[in-house]
Amino acid sequence: MNITVSQRGEVSIAAILGEIDGKTAPLAQAQLMPILEATNKVVLDMSSVSYLSSAGLRMLLVLYRQATARSGKVALVGLSEEIKDTMSMTGFLGFFEVSDTLDAGLLSLA
Amino acid sequence: MSALTLPATLDALEDIGQFVKETAVSGGLDTGAAYRLRLAVDEMATNIVSYGGVAEIVIAATVTARDVTVTLVDNGVAFDPRRQALPSEAALAAPLEERDIGGLGIFLALTGVDRYDYAREGETNRNVFTMRKAPAAPPT
Repeated sequence: MNITVSQRGEVSIAAILGEIDGKTAPLAQAQLMPILEATNKVVLDMSSVSYLSSAGLRMLLVLYRQATARSGKVALVGLSEEIKDTMSMTGFLGFFEVSDTLDAGLLSLA
Repeated sequence: MSALTLPATLDALEDIGQFVKETAVSGGLDTGAAYRLRLAVDEMATNIVSYGGVAEIVIAATVTARDVTVTLVDNGVAFDPRRQALPSEAALAAPLEERDIGGLGIFLALTGVDRYDYAREGETNRNVFTMRKAPAAPPT
């Protein structure tokens, strides 16, 4: 798991690469929390995330709470069908701005 | 049957994931079924290495003409996941601000596969996950 961060105007974009499981979710969370503490609008580009377990859901929950506590927003981009299924079954999907492309994700935060 | 014995740490999850993915490919599961099998096994394995208090975890696979079965074996205290309370529909619909995050892993493990079985055999826990293969296309 690897995270690359870039800036587009007032939006921070964090591109995650790899699998988010019980081992990597806490590492990803530790890297992403400071971004959410510094920026109100964050796009998580998940188009290169091939796997997300409940540990990843827990990470998304923590990030979501951090963002909403600051009236910020987290947009998710490029979710695989399988990850969408997991998020839908567990009632997570509806709480995030979800887009297929980075441009659409940026627009959803505008 | 193929099998693998691993130290029961979070580092084992990557090897377990790889093992299940290879089993799913050799067993001919479609992408969705392969993913849900890996998710179920990974969730249970995460639980075992995090809370089981065991030194090792064994993963084994069997492929037949009809299905693909993955078994996790550990010698921790008896733990039957089927006796855990799964999150209710109301809990899964609650706003994320109010969520109690517990139980989602077991929920995904038990509901994602076609069949889940647990057995306590002597001093071991056996978690058995089965996916049925999609029926072959009829001859044309």
